[in-house]
Amino acid sequence: MGRLPLAVGEPEPARLLLSLEGVAKEFPGVKALQGVSFDLRAGEVHAVCGENGAGKSTLMKIISGVYQRDAGEIVYKGQTVHFTSTLQSEAAGIAIIHQELNLVPHLSVAENIYLAREPRRGFLIDRRKLFADAKRCLDRLGVDIDPHAQVRTLSVAQCQMVEIAKALSLDASVLIMDEPTSSLTEQEAQLLFRVIRDLKAAGTGIVYISHRLDEMAEIVDRVTILRDGRYISTDDFSAITVDTIVARMVGRPLEEKFPAPTRQPTRDVLFSVSGLTRHGVFSDISFEIRRGEILGFAGLMGAGRTEVARAIFGADPFDAGTITLDGRTLSISDPRSAIEAGIAYLSEDRKGQGLAVKMPVDANLMMANMEAVASGAGVIDRERHRAASQRYVDLLSIKTPSLGQPVRLLSGGNQQKIIIGKWLFREPKIMFFDEPTRGIDVGAKFAIYQIMDELAARGIGIVLISSELPEILGLSDRVAVFHEGRITATLSTRETSQEDIMLYASGRSRHGE
Amino acid sequence: MADITSGKPQEPIQSRQTPPGRGLSDRQKDIIQKFAALGSLVILAAVFATTSSAFLTVNNGMTIALQVTSIALLGIGATYVIITGGIDLSVGSVLALAGVVAALAVRDLGTPIWLGMLIGILTGSACGLINAFVITRLKLPPFIATLGMMLIARGVALQITGARAVSGLGEAFGVLGNGSLFRIESIDDQGFPVVSFPGIPYPVVLMIVIAIAAGFLLNRTVLGRHIYAIGSNADAARLSGVNVTRVTAFTYLVSGTLAGLTGCVLMSRLVTAQPNEGVAYELDAIASAVIGGTSLIGGVGTISGTFIGAFVIGILRNGLNMNGVSAFIQQIIIGLVILVTVWIDQIRNRR
Repeated sequence: MGRLPLAVGEPEPARLLLSLEGVAKEFPGVKALQGVSFDLRAGEVHAVCGENGAGKSTLMKIISGVYQRDAGEIVYKGQTVHFTSTLQSEAAGIAIIHQELNLVPHLSVAENIYLAREPRRGFLIDRRKLFADAKRCLDRLGVDIDPHAQVRTLSVAQCQMVEIAKALSLDASVLIMDEPTSSLTEQEAQLLFRVIRDLKAAGTGIVYISHRLDEMAEIVDRVTILRDGRYISTDDFSAITVDTIVARMVGRPLEEKFPAPTRQPTRDVLFSVSGLTRHGVFSDISFEIRRGEILGFAGLMGAGRTEVARAIFGADPFDAGTITLDGRTLSISDPRSAIEAGIAYLSEDRKGQGLAVKMPVDANLMMANMEAVASGAGVIDRERHRAASQRYVDLLSIKTPSLGQPVRLLSGGNQQKIIIGKWLFREPKIMFFDEPTRGIDVGAKFAIYQIMDELAARGIGIVLISSELPEILGLSDRVAVFHEGRITATLSTRETSQEDIMLYASGRSRHGE
Repeated sequence: MADITSGKPQEPIQSRQTPPGRGLSDRQKDIIQKFAALGSLVILAAVFATTSSAFLTVNNGMTIALQVTSIALLGIGATYVIITGGIDLSVGSVLALAGVVAALAVRDLGTPIWLGMLIGILTGSACGLINAFVITRLKLPPFIATLGMMLIARGVALQITGARAVSGLGEAFGVLGNGSLFRIESIDDQGFPVVSFPGIPYPVVLMIVIAIAAGFLLNRTVLGRHIYAIGSNADAARLSGVNVTRVTAFTYLVSGTLAGLTGCVLMSRLVTAQPNEGVAYELDAIASAVIGGTSLIGGVGTISGTFIGAFVIGILRNGLNMNGVSAFIQQIIIGLVILVTVWIDQIRNRR
C-alpha cells in the first residue's frame, strides 16, 4: 500500500499534479474506502478500474470536494488540500465530468457550459462572448451542436458532449472523467479520445473511469485497480492485460466474457416486422426474429434503433407497417396492447423508464403483472405476491437484503435483473433489450448475457440493441445494422466483423462491393 | 420458466453488488415515522390534558373527532392525488358547491334528503372528473387545472345561491351532521334527559369507514399499487402497462367525491348551506397529508399518516382554543408544525 508515487531519480520525471496517500472514508455502516493511494502526473491518462461499489466514485468525490476524507493525505500541486466543495476544487483547477448528467434542460447549451461562470459586462451577461466561447469549446471537441439549442432538445450523447465541453471550458489541470463514453457511439468516443490526446499533449492530467476496458488501450497510460474500497495495484497500461485487470477487479480469474451459447437458433420465424415507418424518424424497417435466436440491432446513436423498438412496443406511434407474431398480425396502440400481445421492452434508461426506484423490489417485480397476484376484484393476494417475487429474486440471483428493499439502493446489475424479472413474470414471447449492460460491472454483465441466452434457448425471441459492437458480436446470432432510420444490412454474426458492421452503420456500404 | 437457469452456475463471478444494509429498511422506517407522528399526537394530548381539565373528556373527544372529519375526508382525497404527484386545490370550493346543490335540490326541487345529498356528492364527483379530464386529456398541470376549478366551483356556488345562505331545510337535513350512533340517554326523576354517552357522531363513523376503505384500496389492491407506481415513476408505469390516464383520473374523482361528501356533512351540521363554506380547506387537507408523511414529489404517503396528520391539526386547534389561545396565534403554531414535521421527515430520509 505504501507505494512511492514516483521513484527518486527516474529520468525526466513527469510533474506530479495530484497524489493521494492512505485515503479512507466511512459512511455509517460502510467502509467505502480504506488506505487508498493514487497519483496523477501532468500529461497522463490514469484509469481507475473496479466493479460497481469498489469505491471509484467515492474517491473522485473526495478529490473534487463533494465528500471529505476521514483519513489520509491529498497533495495537489505540492500542497495539502482540503476541498469542501466542488466550487473550491474547480477554482483550483480540478474539473469533474459526472456519470449522471448535470445539465439544466431549459437553458441553452452555452448557458449550461458557463453556468454560474457567465462572462459579464457590468451587471449583464455578455451574451455575445458567452455564445462565442461556447462555440469555441464545442468546436474544439469537434461536435456539431448549436450553442443556442436548448439542452432538453439534445440526445443523451449530445448532452454528454456538452458536459465534456463544460469541463474543458474550465481549463482545468486535472480532469476527472466518470464513464464519459457510456452513452457515446464508437464514432463519438473517437472524437472524445482525440480531445483527450490533445489535452494530454497540453499537460492536463486525466483521471479516467470506465467499464469499457477495451477502449482504454487507445488513451490510457496507467491503471489503478480498486476492489471493495481497497487499493489493489497500479501499473503501466502497456505492461498489463485486460484479462489481468478484470481478474484483479473481481478478485479471481475471469474465464469468459460471453457465455457459450446454449440456444439453438431455428429457421422458424417467430416475429416479423415489415415496412415499419415513422415519418422523419425511420422508414421501411423490415426484419424477422427466428425462434431461439438473438438478433442484434447495431448502429450509431440516433440511427433509429431505440425508436423502432419503442414503436413496436407501442410507446411511440408509427405511420405504416405490419407487425406479426406467431403468424398473427398485431394491432398495437399503446404499451398495454403490446404487453398483452407478448412483447416486452427493457429501456436503455433504467432509472428513468424502467424502475420505480422509490418502491421496493417486490413491487417493481410485480408491476407489469399485478393482476396475476390479485383476486378478480383487484385485491392483492399478499402470499402470492411474496412467493412470485421471491421466485424471480431466486431465479435471477438478485442480490437484495429483502423483498422490501427500495430498488434505488441496489446496484445497476441487480436493477437490470429486476426489470428482466418484471418482464419474465409476464411470460413474453419477444423481448427487446435496449443497452442492457450500460453502466453495469463486468461480473453482472456476464450474468445478464447468460440470462439472455437461456431465454432465447427457451424460445423467447430476443432483440439486443447495443452500442458496444463486441457485445453485439459476442451475443447475437444475426445483426441488423441501422443507418439514419433504415436497416442497411442484416448479417450473420459468424460471418461478419466489427469493421463490416461499422461500414454499414456509417452508410458507406456500397463502396467496397 | 421456473427452471430457466437451473443446474447452471448462475453467476460465475462473485461480484459484490448490494450495498451493505444501513440497518433499517424503509418499511421499518415507515413504522418508526408513524410512531413518531402518533407519539407527538399523544404528547400533544397529554400537554393539553394537564393545561385544561375539560380536554380529556369523552365529550371533547367526540368534538375533536367531529371537527377533524372534514380535514380527514379531504385529506384522504389529497393523499391519493398527491401520491400520484398531483395536487387538488379545488376541494374547498367543490365542497361548498356540493353542499349548496344538495340544499337547493331539497328545498327548491323537493327531492328526498338522501337523494339531494346524493346529487350533492355526485356534483363533487363531476368536479373531480372535470379536473381529471383537464389534467389527463388537455394535459394541464394539476396545480393550474384545480386552481381553475377552485374559482369556477366557488363562482357557481355563489351564482346559484345569489351569494346567500340556503336555509329552511328542515330538521331532517341535519341528521347526517348532527346525529350519532350508540347514544345513551335516559330521563331522570325531574324529567330532564341525562346523556351517559354522547354517541359516535355519524360524520365520525363515516370518516372511520372511509379511511379504512381508502387505506385498504391503497395498500392491498392493484389500483392502489398503480397509484404509487405512477407517483414514483409515471414513465416506467406506462411502459409496464399501467393505464396511467385512468388511474390518475381515479384519484381526482376520489378527491372530488370526498369533497362532495364533506360538503353535504358540513351543511347538514349547520342545517344551512353556505356558498362561502370551506374557504382554504384544501390547505388543511394538504397539510394533514404532508404532516402524515406524504411527499409532494409523489410516490410516498399513507392514509394512516394523513389520519394522524388530521388529528394533529384538530387537537392543536381544539387544545389551543380551550387554553384561550387566539385564532391568529393558532395559525402561527400550525404553520410552524407543518414546517417542523416536514423538516424532520427530510432529515430522516436524507442519506
